[in-house]
Amino acid sequence: MVGQGLARRRRASRLHPARLAVLTVVCLLLSGMAGAAAYFFPVVVAGVGQTGQTVVVPPNNSAKVSPTPSAPPGSPFTVLLLGSDDDSKFQADHVLTQSMILVRVEPATKRVTMLSIPRDLWVPLSTGGSAKIDAAYSYGGAAAAIATVQRNFHVHIDEYAWIGLKGLIKLIDRLGGIDIFVTNPVLDDFYPNDLDVKNIYGYKRVAVLPGAQHLNGATALEYVRSRHNDINGDFGRSARQQQVLLAIKAKASTLTAADLPDIVDALKGEFKTSMGLDRVRSLLGVAAAFDLANVKQVVLYACPSGCYTSYGNGALYGGQSVVVPHWNQILPVVKASFP
Amino acid sequence: MILRRIAAILFLPMMLAFGSGVYLYLGTMKSKVVKERAQLPTVTKPRFVLPGTMFVAQEGRLFKLKAGSFTEIGPPGDWSQPAMTPDHTKMIAVSRSGFYSDLYLLDLDGHIIKRLTKNDSKIIDGNHWIFYPKVSPDGATLTYSFDSPKYGYQVDMAVWSMPLNGTQAQARRRTTPNGHTGGDVGPIPLAGGGILFVRHSIEPSTAVTSQIFYQSRPFAIPTPLTSEADDCSQPALSPDGTQLAMICTGGKQTAKVEVAPFTGSALGPAKVLLSGALYAAPAWSPDGKALAYFAPAGAAGHFQLWYLALPDLAPSASASPSTSATASVGTTPSVRPSASPSPSPPAPFKSRRASISVRLQPRPGFRHHSVAS
Repeated sequence: MVGQGLARRRRASRLHPARLAVLTVVCLLLSGMAGAAAYFFPVVVAGVGQTGQTVVVPPNNSAKVSPTPSAPPGSPFTVLLLGSDDDSKFQADHVLTQSMILVRVEPATKRVTMLSIPRDLWVPLSTGGSAKIDAAYSYGGAAAAIATVQRNFHVHIDEYAWIGLKGLIKLIDRLGGIDIFVTNPVLDDFYPNDLDVKNIYGYKRVAVLPGAQHLNGATALEYVRSRHNDINGDFGRSARQQQVLLAIKAKASTLTAADLPDIVDALKGEFKTSMGLDRVRSLLGVAAAFDLANVKQVVLYACPSGCYTSYGNGALYGGQSVVVPHWNQILPVVKASFP
Repeated sequence: MILRRIAAILFLPMMLAFGSGVYLYLGTMKSKVVKERAQLPTVTKPRFVLPGTMFVAQEGRLFKLKAGSFTEIGPPGDWSQPAMTPDHTKMIAVSRSGFYSDLYLLDLDGHIIKRLTKNDSKIIDGNHWIFYPKVSPDGATLTYSFDSPKYGYQVDMAVWSMPLNGTQAQARRRTTPNGHTGGDVGPIPLAGGGILFVRHSIEPSTAVTSQIFYQSRPFAIPTPLTSEADDCSQPALSPDGTQLAMICTGGKQTAKVEVAPFTGSALGPAKVLLSGALYAAPAWSPDGKALAYFAPAGAAGHFQLWYLALPDLAPSASASPSTSATASVGTTPSVRPSASPSPSPPAPFKSRRASISVRLQPRPGFRHHSVAS
């Protein structure tokens, strides 16, 4: 009996070829998954930390605007893109938004509309009082910025995405630079020299020459941030920002999932969005598919160019340089572009 | 039991190796956009040999392409926009240093012969930019774009001239640019004392446009040679002065390479040689039968040096979108048809990538410039 039991145990302990094969496959699967998990770990961490940001948009009185849940997958949606100074002149999350662009994406028709909101636009803020619209984020974060835009422009915003200056530089560098046809020389003797320097209140000279260019992140930032010598001031800068956004889109459309850890690493701490990973993924899909010919760009130029806005008398606005909205001109355009 | 232990010992490194393999494999799946970096011309080999010598700038470094190989020339620094003297014995180049730039006279091996300008200042806005040097056909005058006068925030470049053998104190301004547009750039001095240059303006619709102008003498009212709608810039005059190559965008983010006959003060009808890419910095071969230019190729978009033979510039214009990444490449200097990414009529002009992986990525913010001698 004892001998038979030992023989059974030996047989049981012997590795059957089929069992060995199954064990091998399982082990390989597990180790492969572990390798993939390690590769995409930064993406998961960022997905938890930087995407799906919840904002509570304060209720408002406008009948046309309501903080309804995000648009379902596949249906058109509107994103508020926010670009900020994020140097040490400001406290974290109390920064001015240098750039506010409303983007409507229609996945079905692959159409995109971009509307740049002038940073100096004088509007009632959702947090109370009136000020330049770039202060909304400073007073109440993304929620205040969204609410302010929703109330004034009578649009519904489904999502938002915020990026800091350094994030933009790193993103473009990780994309290997962007290709752009610079329309005219961008020269600025008073460009803020506030990134990675001791004296953040200094200036530097900038010269981006015209013609086809392959711009790295730092030069691309100079291109979109300079405004002192542009005859259109902030409006000209807005047009350049849209141009760079489209160039980034052109590069991003060739990205693969394997590129995500690099991109996430570039945007570490410099990017926040309310979009979940699903929406980000579908957005990348749309970016890859849509044609530049289907992109409508709107800049709210001041008179005499566009008459959507006008330059305000500084004396009436506490000595500030402001842009006064002409809502009777703006709202029809917004309604047509962001139904 | 022993077998199990052996199996476990074997499985652990296998799992570790496989997991690492998956991790590394995913790393190799990155798109070219993220992976590819610009390479120096000297580490690559051109795809065919061109006669003569060509000078190009990349990322602040000057290179000489001769007999099928690139050589770096010039002292360390941030160099760009090399321009030959008419006798092809020297060149002028721009040296950029932080907040200013200067012009230098160099020999053909890149040795500095003379510093021609001094534009630095301890006060930030006291510095000056100087770009786009060109020597007049008689070799006596140096013409360039210079950001003076300046008024506070207003910094625009105007066209200036100075004697090549003189000093900057003898420099005289020739044009008055449109304010707050960036100004006048890319001057080409002509034999009779006139110049061609590019002026930027803001249309009532707020679009920024560039036009090529002819000016007969300093401060004379310039005559536009191209329309605002065509949005043309980067003129390059053929060695015999009868053809003008230029880049036109029509206000879009893609460009066309066009060539038009030039009478000395007026342009004839332009022919589109290439369209559909970000073409830049056309430069003529000394015999006027070819153009070199830059255009991005591949997903990464690094600019590469291209060569376009122009067998006949006489009749019928035709566009050929021929600078795709799949453009065919020969191993001899003979012209071969290039692959076109979309159906197009037979194209009389064939473009070839001159180097297999010479990514002439210019220093951002600088116009890439090539010169044949």
